[in-house]
Amino acid sequence: MASHSAQTRIEAQTIMKARLKGAQTGRNLLKKKSDALTLRFRQILKKIIETKMLMGEVMREAAFSLAEAKFTAGDFSTTVIQNVNKAQVKIRAKKDNVAGVTLPVFEHYHEGTDSYELTGLARGGEQLAKLKRNYAKAVELLVELASLQSSFPGLNVLLLISSQSWMRESEKSFIGLLKLTVIDHFLFSIFQRLYLLNDLLVYVL
Amino acid sequence: MLEGAELYFNVDHGYLEGLVRGCKASLLTQQDYINLVQCETLEDLKIHLQTTDYGNFLANQTNPLTVSKIDTEMRKRLCGEFEYFRNHSLEPLSTFLTYMTCSYMIDNVILLMNGALQKKSVKEILGKCHPLGRFTEMEAVNIAETPSDLFNAILIETPLAPFFQDCMSENALDELNIELLRNKLYKSYLEAFYKFCKNHGDVTADVMCPILEFEADRRAFIITLNSFGTELSKEDRETLYPTFGKLYPEGLRLLAQAEDFDQMKNVADHYGVYKPLFEAVGGSGGKTLEDVFYEREVQMNVLAFNRQFHYGVFYAYVKLKEQEMRNIVWIAECISQRHRTKINSYIPIL
Repeated sequence: MASHSAQTRIEAQTIMKARLKGAQTGRNLLKKKSDALTLRFRQILKKIIETKMLMGEVMREAAFSLAEAKFTAGDFSTTVIQNVNKAQVKIRAKKDNVAGVTLPVFEHYHEGTDSYELTGLARGGEQLAKLKRNYAKAVELLVELASLQSSFPGLNVLLLISSQSWMRESEKSFIGLLKLTVIDHFLFSIFQRLYLLNDLLVYVL
Repeated sequence: MLEGAELYFNVDHGYLEGLVRGCKASLLTQQDYINLVQCETLEDLKIHLQTTDYGNFLANQTNPLTVSKIDTEMRKRLCGEFEYFRNHSLEPLSTFLTYMTCSYMIDNVILLMNGALQKKSVKEILGKCHPLGRFTEMEAVNIAETPSDLFNAILIETPLAPFFQDCMSENALDELNIELLRNKLYKSYLEAFYKFCKNHGDVTADVMCPILEFEADRRAFIITLNSFGTELSKEDRETLYPTFGKLYPEGLRLLAQAEDFDQMKNVADHYGVYKPLFEAVGGSGGKTLEDVFYEREVQMNVLAFNRQFHYGVFYAYVKLKEQEMRNIVWIAECISQRHRTKINSYIPIL
């Protein structure tokens, strides 16, 4: 009789332990995912700050080279605006996978030739070429910044969700652990009383 | 033409020459530029300009003051002065002044043609046209459907007609690249202007011809420099060089074959005037070829005032005034963008 109750006790214990282990593994996986997301989040944040600082410098440089070009070539703004037809720099949106989460990434590419190749042929061509280079750099930096900033809120939300679920899981597993300990003690005390009763009965009979 | 301009020049043009010399005396001096460079904001700049001959030209501007407002007001002032000269002039000075406006007219026509082709509204393009290049047929431009229509109906009335006829047949107008058209027109304009001055003879030819020759050579050099690495072929490039000046004809032929800056420099070394200019490129101040050419142009224009009884003073005054406007806009931009490292790269005049 004692062995039978001991068996059920051990079985009950094993089942609980297995469930606890399952909960713990799940919790660890979630923690890893949350950690990976946090890491990526911090990297992106750092990159955003760097890019924004750089953006300020690059735009300043580009605006100054516009002033230089105007000094040598005169006012070419109307000519440029009038001759606009197709975009030379375009962007493609791609998906990037991070810890099972897809984030958008923008990539720029060039298409077609420069339709302003001969502008400033007789005056200011050198300054115009420098101007084109500076603004091209600014546009590329903008695309990068857009890519970072568009993934930022998505990542933020995901991080919150995953950290919430991680916290829920750890709460669950903590409670599970607590339950197990309580039940274990309870069962132990019950079984102790059963043994005592058993012994008493044997003694009486 | 009879020699002895001093005998009869003042009868027709004395008043205007006196006027233009008075205007020239009011150009900003080195001291004025030093004061302007030390300004911290555009408001300071405005206050400093009030002490010069510009006076209160910015008085009616609303806040905030921008560089483009300064530019527009200065240009209005110059146009006012030029229109006054033109309205009071007699032949042949009036033809001379008309020739001067042709270069702005060319720019305006190119702008209008482009706009008409792209079906843009005429009003907004008219606002962007250079006021000195105004001609009466401007508003009628939107009637034309194609460039050849434009030419036949409208441009044939303007002083630009012979330049268009020089460049090409009417059919070719449709396909030609707009920049090539602009440069070809400018080439025929310069040649016509040069012929006019030369035929006039006298002191005007003495003063204007070297200035125009320098302009032609400068265009040849700059076009060559800017066409390296573009799809402009050597033959096309050669058609854009004006056919007069020190470089004509051997230098131009050599230039057409040049493929980089050093080869161009070798061509320039054959000419005593251009050798030191090319040597000044680069150097300590990081000067470009264009800066060096601008300085030389300013020098020649200032020297034009040393002789009397010729029309070159009008040309020189307008060019110097434009350079002064560019200088002021440059200083204003450096101040407003707080980028003061190159603020002293303006070109001093007096």
